Amino acid sequence: MTLALRYRPVPPSPLARWDARWKLAATMLAVFGIAALDHLAPAAVALALGFVLLLLSRLPRTWLLPRLFIFLLAAAPFLFVLPFTLGGDGWHVGPVHVSRRGLIAGAAVLCRGMAIGCLALVLVGTAPLHHTLTAAHKLKLPGLLVQLALLAYRYAFVLAEEFRRLRVAMRTRGFRVTATRHGYRALGHATGALLVRGADRAENVAAAMRCRGFDGTFHTLTAFRTRAADMIAFAALVAAVVALVLWDRLVLS
Amino acid sequence: MTQPALRVSSLAHRYSDGRVALEGVSFAVEPGECVAIVGPNGAGKTTLFMRLCGVLSGAPGQASVCGLDPAVAASRKKLPHVVGVVFQNPDDQLFSPTVEEDVAFGPLNTGATVEEAKARVVEALNCVGLPGAGDRVPFQLSGGEKRRAALAGVLAMHPAVLLLDEPSMFLDPRGRRELIATVRALPGTKLIATHDLDLVLDLCPRTLVLDAGHLAADGPTEKLLADIELMERHGLEVPYRLRG
Repeated sequence: MTLALRYRPVPPSPLARWDARWKLAATMLAVFGIAALDHLAPAAVALALGFVLLLLSRLPRTWLLPRLFIFLLAAAPFLFVLPFTLGGDGWHVGPVHVSRRGLIAGAAVLCRGMAIGCLALVLVGTAPLHHTLTAAHKLKLPGLLVQLALLAYRYAFVLAEEFRRLRVAMRTRGFRVTATRHGYRALGHATGALLVRGADRAENVAAAMRCRGFDGTFHTLTAFRTRAADMIAFAALVAAVVALVLWDRLVLS
Repeated sequence: MTQPALRVSSLAHRYSDGRVALEGVSFAVEPGECVAIVGPNGAGKTTLFMRLCGVLSGAPGQASVCGLDPAVAASRKKLPHVVGVVFQNPDDQLFSPTVEEDVAFGPLNTGATVEEAKARVVEALNCVGLPGAGDRVPFQLSGGEKRRAALAGVLAMHPAVLLLDEPSMFLDPRGRRELIATVRALPGTKLIATHDLDLVLDLCPRTLVLDAGHLAADGPTEKLLADIELMERHGLEVPYRLRG
């Protein structure tokens, strides 16, 4: 089995050079703005904007496409459910009524979800996670939360490796996942062992941190420097989303 | 008369489930000494380290590290400045996203500026033979590199006393040789808990034998490790180098 958890170098791109604080602030504001869109046209433009940012990010397709697919899976059900659940004008396909309003609303949800997904991937893909989290700390996110997120990310790899070892050990003793009582019991025991090891690991990590003077305060070597281009990129993205919101709320409503 | 770097007097430790991990352990380590602690699994070696660095609490007056009592809250806050612990499993210790951030973790916690911390990172990584590894991700280091990076994280704090728990565990022969050379070159007082008796012969002129929470022997390494009866009584073996 190949584990999905792998550290990945950040490809050089204009978005990778964007100061993580400005990028995080702009992306969060853009996400809130896009989430507030009601109509299909602005949502579609937001999606196009998301794709443009993805292109600029130069993220490898092998990394990008599976993740975009996950966002698609999350948003697509609305497109298939709303046309059959909302009333109003529409078409009759045999005994089934397809609502025009539902179809448009479903498409708008899909566009909004995918646009937000694109922004999230840009944020995660164009800077190492610890830079983004440190930027969040500089933007006043509590240090303890940042530390927790960093530790969770770091130890996800360690636990994934332990899970892989457990799985190999089970397979070497002839275990195959089957929908039987024995199969469920074995998986339950393996999960339990992983949780116990995780708890044990957490205690050891906490001890190691205390031994090096950790008192709950987050410190980092990462330094940020704002350039004019960072502020221009921030202003451009926020202005684009504000324009979409105004179009959605003032023109189309 | 100089104060011992480490002083342990009738130290006892009992876990919350009632299990006695240490009982009546007493010894002293002079500044600059390199002392090994050997003993079978469950002898109490790691528990002793955890008491010395203040992670486990206990009764005051049973231990002192550079004059600080780890059982006293006010002293415990100062302990990271004087005592460094390298844990058995380096994955427990390397929790930062990059080696540089991890090595700088201790200095930044103890009040160093970013510039000072960066200088200490370079110094510590050079000291353990990992120059230029600062940008690397701890998860992707080899076992030997992880061990050395963990050691660098402790050395960056300039501790007067270094506690090394099973330092050669998980290392291949080359990694082990490199570690021995690195530890030998380190200044300060060193206490090494290990099953690797050849490493003990290479590094430590003095050895303590701990078994079932009791100090069974304290003396010159070659004399103790060559004592077949003592070794067998405490679940150990005479190293090949000392066998007739």
